[in-house]
Amino acid sequence: MSLESLWLALLGLLLAGYFVLGGYDYGVQMLHPFLGRSGADGSRGAREAAEPVGRNAALAAIAPFFLGNEVWLVAFTGVLFGAFPHLEGSLLSGLYPLIVAILAGLVLGNAAVQLRGRAHSARGRRRWDALIVLGGGLPAVCWGLVLGLLLHGVPRRPDGSFHIGFGEVLSPFVLACGVTTALLFAAHGAVFLALRSAPELASAARRSGTALLRAAGAAGALTLLLTLLGAGAPMRNGVTSALLAALFAAALAGAWWWLSRERHGRAFAATCCATVLPVLLVGAGHYPYVLASSSGAGLTVRQAVTDGATLKILTAFGVVLIPVILAYQTWSWWAFRGRTGRRHPSYF
Amino acid sequence: MSAADLARLQFAATTGIHWLFVILTMGLVPLVAIMHTRAACTSDPAKRAVRERMTRFWGQLYVINYAVGIVTGLVMEFQFGLSWSGLSKFAGNVFGAPLALETLIAFFAESTFLGMWIFGWGRLRSGVHVTLIWLVALTAYASGYWILVANGFMQHPVGYEVRDGAAYLTDFGALLTNPSALLALGHLTLAALTTGGVLVTGVSTFHLARRTEETDLFRGSLRLGLWVAMLASFFVIIVGDLQFPLIERTQPGKLAALEESHLPWHGLLRVSTDVMTITGNTVSTITFVAVFLLWKDLLVRWRPLAYLMTALIPFPFIASAGGWVLREVGRQPWLIYGELTVDDALSHVSRGSLAVSCSAFIAIFVALAAVNWTLLTRFARRGPYGIQFGATEPLTEEPRPATAAF
Repeated sequence: MSLESLWLALLGLLLAGYFVLGGYDYGVQMLHPFLGRSGADGSRGAREAAEPVGRNAALAAIAPFFLGNEVWLVAFTGVLFGAFPHLEGSLLSGLYPLIVAILAGLVLGNAAVQLRGRAHSARGRRRWDALIVLGGGLPAVCWGLVLGLLLHGVPRRPDGSFHIGFGEVLSPFVLACGVTTALLFAAHGAVFLALRSAPELASAARRSGTALLRAAGAAGALTLLLTLLGAGAPMRNGVTSALLAALFAAALAGAWWWLSRERHGRAFAATCCATVLPVLLVGAGHYPYVLASSSGAGLTVRQAVTDGATLKILTAFGVVLIPVILAYQTWSWWAFRGRTGRRHPSYF
Repeated sequence: MSAADLARLQFAATTGIHWLFVILTMGLVPLVAIMHTRAACTSDPAKRAVRERMTRFWGQLYVINYAVGIVTGLVMEFQFGLSWSGLSKFAGNVFGAPLALETLIAFFAESTFLGMWIFGWGRLRSGVHVTLIWLVALTAYASGYWILVANGFMQHPVGYEVRDGAAYLTDFGALLTNPSALLALGHLTLAALTTGGVLVTGVSTFHLARRTEETDLFRGSLRLGLWVAMLASFFVIIVGDLQFPLIERTQPGKLAALEESHLPWHGLLRVSTDVMTITGNTVSTITFVAVFLLWKDLLVRWRPLAYLMTALIPFPFIASAGGWVLREVGRQPWLIYGELTVDDALSHVSRGSLAVSCSAFIAIFVALAAVNWTLLTRFARRGPYGIQFGATEPLTEEPRPATAAF
């Protein structure tokens, strides 16, 4: 495996890690005001039990991991700049409006999650809650739009730069990708809550989760249909893409099957796979192009990668750092394993 | 405003506001780590409780500030690619490496460990818990180092050669030991410690002057904060002065703009530099005198004196903003000194998009800064009573609800 493929794989790992971990954060953020009362009788009692003193049990479930999840995106951007500077410049400036929207959502949502607990009135908390929902939903939809654009190909100019406008974003395929991703993240968040929360919230999350998985499946089927009709993504590597799409469908179906049978661990593993697969599809579906052009061809991994000397230095650091990062992240998941309960200090 | 002006304003606002959070984060975290270590090493239960409350009180202020700082940092990471794609085109081979390593070595670890520290009270073993906050402190400064390696390359590019209009890395060691980065790291470390020390001092004297019941807590904090502030504010001036010979050698344009009134940016540079020098010297002098007044609590016995220390809290922020203007505005018109101008690095982004994003980011950041300082003030005034941070009582007083409700 050449060094540039290795770094492309690492870039994919970081983005996939962000989709899995940030994905359930966004899902929980979107669902947190509603989940407590989704019981069959919409019982107020269940809602109040979940939220005694202005606490939100859904947010408490993601709390210890929250700061460690978002950094996967930062690391992705750092590695994108370090290892693929020629992709970074044109990708981020080309997707300018979407990236700005994602960042605005992230900034507001992250700050709101962390500062919500500092509000001293119910009204103040409700304001933060609105920002928390916005900060989950906006990035989720926009990442879906970005995925859709990357799968479909972007309007690259001869000098390599591109700009997306309303015309590109408002295509049925790209919009369907946005909706699919938002529903997928919401379902993923619901499954996370089913896995980690106290029983009453967990069963409410299970109900929402199965419904959201069905909806995500329907939206995903629409993107597939559009592609088959020729209005979607002209994938360069057809067989690989078809295989990944099939796996995606299987992951959603498996998640739904296990979740409705209360096998939360397996259902969560399946939604993790489902959030990783779109990243793999973008990377492998157009390989060796890392930025596919809508008129065919595009920017290859070899053109995007940094100079060989720089890449060797980065590799020397990478072989030490990546296992260390994976080790301490795993440690943090292990240290805060189990259902949210009495021994968890609350802060957010 | 032209697209270039808007992109510069957006970058300056993001960096400038980010910096105000960072300097306090970096200044507070070593102090919190010291407090936590002392608490963990105390066996007397009453003393230990005071020191633990001390850690949690200052820790909460630190964590509130970090929460807002990290989100502005997130935007920082994207700024280069968003508006300055010419930078990655020309210098991506060199400039990208320190940024990538910063995220992998420092940012990643800092955030993960801080999350564990925040939620580790009563759940992790005391030794592990204390180690975590030291790791957070260490990685915060490691982060500062790598960012300054990147920034040092913009001020004084080293370790590269230009072939066919692009820079290539030739000497990684030179990049890492760039004097412009190392001196700045020393200067910033001391500036951050001054900021943290002055804040701890000012809040402590405020509570002591109001005759708080937590005298042990705030007397201990005052001693630590004031000594750190006094020493750091003395040496920050010395290290700051050390940078002038380097600037003279490597950035003659910066010194010229500072000295000669007909050059562009002269007025702003002159004022910022003077503000930095005057406020820095004021802090250094006052903290030096105040250390002697610790004797017999003289500093807090006469209230105006105690409140003077509180009024000193904004000074290090003002001084550091002045220093930042000198370093970054003084670099103009260069993005990478002598190699790439700011105008040449601008992305092809429309003026309209930039106007929207620039106003949105500035509005959000200013609002967040206001929220941050309101919260810091409120929680600093409230004192350690009823503090939520690190509280180890159960998460929820969950009445075991009837599952029949579902």
